[in-house]
Amino acid sequence: MIHIKTMRKSVGVLMAAAAMLCLAAAQNASRTAIDFNRQVRPILSDNCFACHGPDAKNRMAELRLDEKDSAARVIVAGKRNESKLFQRLNHANPALRMPPKALGRTLTPEQIETVGRWIDQGAEWKMHWSYEPPRRPPVPNVAGSRWPRNPIDNFVLARLQKEGLKPSAEASKSTLLRRLTLDLTGLPPTPEETRAFLADKSPDAYEKAVDRLLASPHYGERMAMQWLDLARYADTHGYHIDSHRDMWPWRDWVIQAFSSNMPFDRFTVDQLAGDLLPNATKQQLLATGFNRNHMINYEGGAIPEEYLVEYIVDRVETTAVAFMGMTIGCARCHDHKYDPISQRDFYRYFAFFNNIDEKGLDGREGNAKPLLALPDDAQKARLAELEQAVAARETLLPAKNVDAAMEEWSKSAELSMGPRDAAAHYELDGGYADTSGNYRHARLIRGTPSFSNGPSGLAIGFDGETQMDWGAYPAGEAFSASFWLRWGNKLEQAFLHRFDKAALRGVIVRMEEAASIGDLKRASRIEARLANRWPENAIEVRTENRVAQNEYTHIAVTYDGSGKASGVKIFFNGVPQTVAVLKDKLSGSIIPAAPWSSGDGNIDLPSRAQLDDLRFFARPIKADEARQLAVDATVRAILSTPAAKRSKDQKDRLKEYFLSTVAPPEWRKAHAEGKELRAAMDALNRNIVTSMVMTELPKPRETFVLGRGDYRNRTEKVTPAVPASLPPLPAGAPANRLGLAKWLVDPSHPLTARVAVNRFWQMYFGSGLVETSEDFGSQGAPPTHPELLDWLATHFVESGWDVRAMQRLLVTSATYRQTSQSSPEMVERDPRNRLLARMSRFRLPAETVRDNALAIGGLLNRTVGGKSVFPYQPGGLWEEMAYGDVFTAQTYVQSHGDDLYRRSMYTFWKRTVPPAQMSVFDAPDREKCAARRARTNTPLQALVLMNDPTYLEAARALAEKVMVTAGRDANSRIRLAFQMAAARAPDARELKLLSQLAVRQQQAYRSHPETARKLITAGERKPAAALDPSELAAWTTVTSAILNLDEVITKE
Amino acid sequence: MHPVEHLQQTLTRRHFFSRGSTGLGAAALASLLNGNAEAANGLPGLPHHTATAKRVIFLHQSGGPSQLDLFDPKPGLKKHQGVDLPASVRMGQRITGMTSGQATLPVASSVFQFKQHGQSGAWISELLPYTSKVADELTIIRTMHTDAINHDPAITFIQSGSQQPGRPSMGAWVSYGLGSANENLPAFVVLISQANALNVDQPLFSRLWGNGFLPSNHQGVRFRAGSEPVLYLDDPPGISRDTRRQMIDVIGKINKMRAETVHDPEIDTRIEQYEMAYRMQTSVPDLMDLSKEPAATFDLYGAEARKPGSYASNCLLARRLIERGVRFVQLYHRGWDQHNDLPRDLALQCKGVDQASAALITDLKQRGLLDDTLVVWGGEFGRTVYCQGKLTEGNYGRDHHPRCFTMLFHFINHSIYCYTITIKIVCQKLIL
Repeated sequence: MIHIKTMRKSVGVLMAAAAMLCLAAAQNASRTAIDFNRQVRPILSDNCFACHGPDAKNRMAELRLDEKDSAARVIVAGKRNESKLFQRLNHANPALRMPPKALGRTLTPEQIETVGRWIDQGAEWKMHWSYEPPRRPPVPNVAGSRWPRNPIDNFVLARLQKEGLKPSAEASKSTLLRRLTLDLTGLPPTPEETRAFLADKSPDAYEKAVDRLLASPHYGERMAMQWLDLARYADTHGYHIDSHRDMWPWRDWVIQAFSSNMPFDRFTVDQLAGDLLPNATKQQLLATGFNRNHMINYEGGAIPEEYLVEYIVDRVETTAVAFMGMTIGCARCHDHKYDPISQRDFYRYFAFFNNIDEKGLDGREGNAKPLLALPDDAQKARLAELEQAVAARETLLPAKNVDAAMEEWSKSAELSMGPRDAAAHYELDGGYADTSGNYRHARLIRGTPSFSNGPSGLAIGFDGETQMDWGAYPAGEAFSASFWLRWGNKLEQAFLHRFDKAALRGVIVRMEEAASIGDLKRASRIEARLANRWPENAIEVRTENRVAQNEYTHIAVTYDGSGKASGVKIFFNGVPQTVAVLKDKLSGSIIPAAPWSSGDGNIDLPSRAQLDDLRFFARPIKADEARQLAVDATVRAILSTPAAKRSKDQKDRLKEYFLSTVAPPEWRKAHAEGKELRAAMDALNRNIVTSMVMTELPKPRETFVLGRGDYRNRTEKVTPAVPASLPPLPAGAPANRLGLAKWLVDPSHPLTARVAVNRFWQMYFGSGLVETSEDFGSQGAPPTHPELLDWLATHFVESGWDVRAMQRLLVTSATYRQTSQSSPEMVERDPRNRLLARMSRFRLPAETVRDNALAIGGLLNRTVGGKSVFPYQPGGLWEEMAYGDVFTAQTYVQSHGDDLYRRSMYTFWKRTVPPAQMSVFDAPDREKCAARRARTNTPLQALVLMNDPTYLEAARALAEKVMVTAGRDANSRIRLAFQMAAARAPDARELKLLSQLAVRQQQAYRSHPETARKLITAGERKPAAALDPSELAAWTTVTSAILNLDEVITKE
Repeated sequence: MHPVEHLQQTLTRRHFFSRGSTGLGAAALASLLNGNAEAANGLPGLPHHTATAKRVIFLHQSGGPSQLDLFDPKPGLKKHQGVDLPASVRMGQRITGMTSGQATLPVASSVFQFKQHGQSGAWISELLPYTSKVADELTIIRTMHTDAINHDPAITFIQSGSQQPGRPSMGAWVSYGLGSANENLPAFVVLISQANALNVDQPLFSRLWGNGFLPSNHQGVRFRAGSEPVLYLDDPPGISRDTRRQMIDVIGKINKMRAETVHDPEIDTRIEQYEMAYRMQTSVPDLMDLSKEPAATFDLYGAEARKPGSYASNCLLARRLIERGVRFVQLYHRGWDQHNDLPRDLALQCKGVDQASAALITDLKQRGLLDDTLVVWGGEFGRTVYCQGKLTEGNYGRDHHPRCFTMLFHFINHSIYCYTITIKIVCQKLIL
């Protein structure tokens, strides 16, 4: 694999750079103590643990180097040359040197020397740092420096002093406010806010701004953004079908939790086990949606047991990464190779989540159970109102009386048999006989028809390969055909035809290709074609209503022989249908030299439907006759069944018939009204939002260790427990999700607080004190400032897990307030700013890039929460890849108006086709938990910022704003636009470049006013009518250039 | 464990992520982009071959083409036509929920004729007359197998090496490892064409060309049919080329001034990315413009190649992309999921891909590109020997069958090691 080779090369580059960074330190420290966890363990982990680590199955020579006792076998403290470990690492004979050559890993001489020195210094062993509970370290004394503003700075400064470095100066006030506003709200400051801040000369002006922003409704949104990545929040189910789901009520819960400063321990417990809390509130139930955000599969033919396991594995992996920074997922198939997590540990942890009342395949129609219904107040009121109204109708229909009256009626009921003059009548109850008395029995032409239960006895089924001929009658032009129809295949097809292929003459009854009607249903319109010569001399009509898929519908087509479209009628279930007339130009006969038939593959696509009770008449039947054929026949069949043998469905249909056609008028009225009210109630219920939640099964499911992680391979049975290498559940805590949640937030837990504060740190400084914020294990990066991390973690717990106070602490540090301006020397010394001698400077996250532009342009809709929206997106992106319209969320229907300008976190997130312009800026696809994002810098990003209508519209809105408010002077316009976009005034050179662009573009657009109009009409928002189009276009290019500046999409 | 596998597993996410972050990652990548990344020597434990492939074209036939009707003739089946598949053959292998409820699993022999072709005497179905003519260029592996039995996990596996989402796709790895040989085009390009068959189609997912845990710039870039082949590529109406140039100049100059103040190397990268975006605005339409291809090209690929977005047109584009230095071209052709009406729909699908697939091989060969381009043709699994639904004389359907299916490969050195996982073959060809 070439990539592995090159990767090694690049890792080499990386190491060289890292070495540069560390060299100074290393030289100073040549005589200082080697730290096992920071310096030695990573060497052993990278190079040795795979064969000499936690994985029992692949362990060589029964040697573990991740455990003190075992490692002691090959270490003689104080004597490197007597230690087998050192001997083998340093062996002159390549065949005996470790690691084996075949592994492709080599230790550098420096690394070998580090191990040697560590042994010489006594080989002091420590548990992996992150499994030791944090102990609050003393705040370093940095006497003499007035730089620190809070203890964070003491830790940072102490490290800098050790490195011989100094912190940078404080950033300018305007930079600070922009940084702070973007960090705490995800939005830029307004020019007014900047002005007020600059004017505030009080010593605590900055702290006041911090408090103002922490109280902003947008603070909760900003904090939620990171949590949504971890929680793999999305608006579709993912996997194959990837249809729509509603988890936004949970998303809004997260925003609200941060806004109301919910302590992090409660935030954790509610999300993991809110349903198990005594007297759980609706909000606590809603919170448990955290563990329902995983993908849910509904692929046809998939095996439910397989996916049930996947969902639970996802919960295990997600909770482990989000709360503990552990890559526990490796232990699904085998003992973890680097961290002390056995496969058994994995499945004991798995057992906590294996007890939900859920299905392996689900999500067909929106949310998958278990659900929480969330009616709003109006809906609640309306529902109560409807229930009352239904009850009122029901009291008018006392069951006893109705049943008695119906019983009485049914004894003597005589229903019309319908018209008795059929030219042919095929009951199709297993045979092809004509029972009209005319003995026109049907003939099988090819294939084998299937018979199954139909509305009247059996029904005949066509599979595309079967053809029946029914006979050639009646002789005259007028006719009726009446039959029960049930179709399943969505392709257009003919059910019945009497058509001469050569003369193109005759009749075809068919459906067009079925359309999706939502909720997974398809339905099709029915067409009748009557031709003397198709298509030029013909009648064609098509019903407005559609016939539903997979249900029996009674169809009657009648024609009076008049040669006019108005002479053709179509009935569904006895109800006359409105039709669209597509052709109405018929002269001459429609009688072909062909029999009536079904399934001829040479006429249209052949039928794949079921037909029952097919009758032909030599005249147009009347509406009441059509009703008799459709309705009365069914009821008659039920009546002929002895009362005791009627199924529930039959009883219901009989009652429905009785109450709607036979019963006394006051009952009929009450029944009709009740039906309407119930329909309204159903419609309302469908509109009530739900959110997926966790609820326990009354009887726990059994959990087994799954060999190689395969759902079919059950081995040892296990019960819920936390990993053996971590502290046990707190005394008295139940071995369920609630116990697990309490364990996570127990102050003695070594990971939870560290992982949480590390991610907060990452938000502000671009990467965490532990860079691998998803992995605090042996293969993760060691903390750059371990004492600071522990101080923050313990402080966080002691503060009562006060999230807002923690943010305040971080952003009020002198470390945070440094300038991000660097120097070539510093870039070389510390390219990734791990030492924090300056503030990190990095591009805004995907959501903020867009929100920032919308806010600068004044377009941003600041509504908090609610349903997800569909902003501009290039056409066809979903449709080219999606399953098709029988499922939801397969077609992108763009929003309009204000919804186009909602914050990006509200953009509808389809997992298999994530929002294009956000993916380009490194947003994850939300299929899996993500603890941090990469930060790339690509040409596709430039294309989005220059060409996406969102950004053009924002640029134009900004241009309008400066043209209207900054007068005619080009420089004042540029100053205002620049101030709004970058929160600072442009310097003279910037002014000059931008005003030159303005002048040249004004000339260009003046000479091509039509192009100007094209540019300023991008997006839905109308351009300001009062402004000269050419001038507006020119200024739009200027503001667009400003919005494209690196500084504008970067947190300085 | 095989050392390659081992390395793959033991490289940590830390290494990957560090590549993506600012400054250093970019520097490392630049060294890849410009350097000659091909390895001279093999990996320890593997035979020392020179890397022969510099580029990959993966013609993914989404849905699972029927090996039994295309490449893997089973004349003996005629005798067993309609017989319930014996338990001794199935040996408890799982079947999908679509046929597990069937009362019988009647054996369905193919209605199509097979003949041997070329010097190799490869058996190929009558549905693929053009492919038959290039039989000697192909390595036909009839013993592929995979674990998953449904589309989602199977296609995710064949593209990323894992049934569950989250891993980088094959093209992302190649982009990561080899970079692009053309500074104006991405290293990894994705092309999609729609089904020819009439029945329902299976969806695709962007994870199939996703970056997984690699930096997002290694995601496949979709080139689409129509006026805007790359998302957001076109200047908006009302912005002329000249205006765009002036804007980029101003943006670049102000960015440069900022870089001089704040000394962030990322700004220099951004300036360069704007220049590349500008170049892409010409290079991509030029690439997509087939109007200058001679008539002979369309004779070769078929008239369909004139239709943007068709499989044939995408095959032609694949050649043009490869010519311009793109490392990995991933095509998807939808519609191979013949649960029913297989004779009709498979014939339609083959008609859609046969000529162009063969043309691509021929075309690469005549341009001297075939020697170092790996071409792969195949789906995510095969299809069952038994009929799904009703078996009639002329009609049948086949369910998913993961345990044995066929894929086609082209490469100069046929002595491949019969790994049954494509990703390994691809990786191996690139390094050996």
